[in-house]
Amino acid sequence: MEKRQIKGFVANLNPKKRRNLLLSSISITALLLFLYFSNEGILMGSYGVRVLNLCAVYAVLTLSMNLINGFTGQFSLGTAGFMAVGAYTTALLILPVEIKEKIFYLEPMVPWLKDVHWAGNLGFLGALLTAGVLTAFIAFLIGFPVLRLKGDYLAIATLGFSEIIRVIFTNMQNLTNGSTGIKSIPPIANMWWTFGVMAFFTIFMVRLMKTSYGRAFKSIRDDEVAAESMGISLFRHKMLSFVLSGFIAGVGGGLMASVVGAITPIFFRFILTYDILLIVVLGGMGSITGSIVGAFLITIAKEWLRWLDGGFSLGFVRIPAIAGMRMVVFSVLLMLVILFYRRGLFGGREFSFDWLINSLSALPKRVFSLFKKGGAAK
Amino acid sequence: MKRTMVFLFAALFLVATLTSACTSAPKEAEPIKIGIFEPLTGANAAGGQMELEGIKVAHSLKGEVLGRKIVLVEMDNKSDDVEAVTAAERLVNEEKVAVVVGSWGSSVCIAAGPTFEAAKIPAIGTSCTNPLVTLDNDYYFRVCYLDDFQGTLLANFAKQNGYMKAGVIVDVSDTYAIGLRNFFVEAYGKDNIVAEAKFNKGDQDFTAQITTVMAAKPDVIFAPSGYTEAGLMMSQARQMGYNDVLFLGGDTWETEAMIEVGGAATEACRFTTFFDADAEPTAESKQFLEAYDKMFGGKPKGAVTALGYDAYMAAVAAIEKAGSTDGVALQKALTELDIVGVTGRCTFDENGDAIKNQAIIKTVEGGAFKYVTTVVVD
Repeated sequence: MEKRQIKGFVANLNPKKRRNLLLSSISITALLLFLYFSNEGILMGSYGVRVLNLCAVYAVLTLSMNLINGFTGQFSLGTAGFMAVGAYTTALLILPVEIKEKIFYLEPMVPWLKDVHWAGNLGFLGALLTAGVLTAFIAFLIGFPVLRLKGDYLAIATLGFSEIIRVIFTNMQNLTNGSTGIKSIPPIANMWWTFGVMAFFTIFMVRLMKTSYGRAFKSIRDDEVAAESMGISLFRHKMLSFVLSGFIAGVGGGLMASVVGAITPIFFRFILTYDILLIVVLGGMGSITGSIVGAFLITIAKEWLRWLDGGFSLGFVRIPAIAGMRMVVFSVLLMLVILFYRRGLFGGREFSFDWLINSLSALPKRVFSLFKKGGAAK
Repeated sequence: MKRTMVFLFAALFLVATLTSACTSAPKEAEPIKIGIFEPLTGANAAGGQMELEGIKVAHSLKGEVLGRKIVLVEMDNKSDDVEAVTAAERLVNEEKVAVVVGSWGSSVCIAAGPTFEAAKIPAIGTSCTNPLVTLDNDYYFRVCYLDDFQGTLLANFAKQNGYMKAGVIVDVSDTYAIGLRNFFVEAYGKDNIVAEAKFNKGDQDFTAQITTVMAAKPDVIFAPSGYTEAGLMMSQARQMGYNDVLFLGGDTWETEAMIEVGGAATEACRFTTFFDADAEPTAESKQFLEAYDKMFGGKPKGAVTALGYDAYMAAVAAIEKAGSTDGVALQKALTELDIVGVTGRCTFDENGDAIKNQAIIKTVEGGAFKYVTTVVVD
C-alpha cells in the first residue's frame, strides 16, 4: 500500500522536480558516506577531521549571526558573548567530577554544580540544549534595552554586553574558574555531532525563512517603516530573531568548547565576533548557502595557506620563510573576493539544483567568451 | 581590466603552488624534525618571536643528534586557541615531528596539550606558567619556573632586605598574578601583609588601589601584573607623592614598554627574571650570548629568548639520552633529564614542571633594565 503511494507521489512530480529529488538523495547519501568514512579515520587523519569539525562549528555560528545581521538587518556584534555562555554551560555540565576537583584549585567550585556530570552522548545533547536555552534567555534579557537601538548604536551596545559577559566570567572564580580557564573538556563532539547540528540548523533556517516570521524578518531588514505600516510588530520580531540567534550561538559555543577541549575568558574576546562577521560578509548577508560555503572556505583556506609561511618560490624569486605570510595572502584573497563579489559570494541567493545545472551548462559559453577577442579589453 | 587582474592573480597563484610542490627536499639520511609551536603572529607575536630567536640560536649550535640532522618545523599558533589545536594536529599528524618546543602564553598550550598527549609526542613549554598546562598531561614539560618558586623567592628577598610590611595590588583577571600573590603571601606571612587591593587587566587608573594600600604604610608593594599596568601604577604612585615605597613584581615586567609607560618612576622597582646578559657568565650563557650576537646582533631582548634556547637544548638532550625519536622513550628520558641550561640547572618533577635553582633580580636605572643580583636556592 505505502509503496504504491510513494511511487504515485514520485510519478506525479514533473521531470524537473523528479530530477532534483534524485540529485538530493544522491548528495545526502554521499555526504553520509563521507561523514562515516571520515569519522572512522579511513578517509583522512585526525588533522583533516579537526579542520572539518571546525568548519561545521563555524557554519553554525555564522548561521546564528546571519539570522540577526543578514536576514533581520540588525547589526549585532554580541556573538562572542553568547558563545561564551553556551561554551561555559556545556563545559561545566559535561566535565567529569574528578577533573572539576583538580581544575578548581584556587577556589573550590560552587557546591550546586560540583557533583554534576552529564555523561555520554545523551548528556552532551542535554548540555547543548541547556546551553542554547540559557543563552537565549540571556539574549532575551539583553534584547529589551538594546533592541530599541538601531545601526551602529546597536552594534556598540551588543559589543559592550558581550564584553560584560566575558568580564563577569573572568571574575566568577568559583563558577568558571576565572582567568585560569577550563581544560580536559570531553571531546564528545565528533563529526556526526558537528555536521548533525549544522544540518539541523540549516534546515531550521530554510524552513524559518519560508514562514511568515521569516518574511517579516526580511521585510524589517529591507524597510522598517514599510514593515511596520504593514502591521508587523518591529520589536517582537527583532526580539524573536535576536533570541533565536542567541540560541544557535549558544549551541555553537557548546560545540566549540567540546571540539577545542579548553576554554578561557580571553578566548571570547570581540575578535572572535569579527572572525564570524567576516564569514557572514564573505558568504553573503542573508544567504544560508553563503554562510555554510563561507565557513568551509575560510576555515579550510586559513589552514591550507599554511605552506606560505614556510617560504616558497615564484619561479623567478624565492620568498623566504616569513611568519604571517599566509595572513597577508589571505587578506589579499579576501579583498579580491569583495572587489568582484560586492555582496559576498552568494549575495542574497541560495543554492538549488536548478541554479547549479543552469550555471554549469552556461559555463562553457562563459569561458569561451572570456577568450574571445576583446573580451578582456573591457 | 578586472579580467586581466583575475588572470594575473590566478597565474601567479598557480605558479607558486606548482613550484612549491616541486621543491621538496632532496633525499639524505632522514632528518629529525623538531616542531616549534609559537605565536608568530597575533596578540603575543612579540613573545613568540623572542623565543623563536633563542630556539634558532640553539639550533645553530647543536644542529645534529644521533648522527642525523635536526630540522626545525615552525608552526604559527596565531595566539589563538582554535588555531593552536589545528597547528598542533598538523605538527604531530602531518609533519610527524619527534618533539615540540613552545609556547609563549599558556592558553594555547592548554588547548593543544591533549593533542600532543594523544599522539604520544612530548612538548617542552617555554614560558607557559599556568598550572593547567602540565596538570594531568604526562607529555607536557616546561623549562620556566613557576609561580611558587618565584613568589617564595620574592617574599624572601623582601624580608632579607628589611622590608617587613607589604601591601599587595593584584590583577585578578590574570592566573599568573593570582598564583604569584598566593605563594608570596604564604611565604611572607599573612600577618605581615598590611593591605590588599585588586584590579582587572586593562585598567588605567590605580589611584584608588594605591591610596588604600598606602594608608596602611607598607615598606613594599607587591604588584604581580602585566607590564603596562605596572608602569602606570608606579608613575601614578610617584605623582601622588609616594617616592620611597618599593614595587616588587615578577618576570612579566621585563619589557621595554614598562619603562616607556612608567618613565623614571620605574626606578623604584625590583623584579625576578630567568636570565640576564649582564649576570656573571656561566659557560652555557657565554656560548649562548656569543652565538646570539653572531646571528642577530646585540643582546637578547628578553629573558624568554634564553628559555627558548633551554627548551630546545632539553629536547635535543632527551633525544640523545633516549637514543631514538620514539615519543614514549623521549617522555621517559625527559622525566630523568638533568641539564644545565642558560637559565640554571633544570630537572623536571612528576608534573613535568621545571625544578630550578636560580633566579635573577633586576631593576630599572637610567631608563634601562639593570642587573641587581643572582639568587641561588638549594
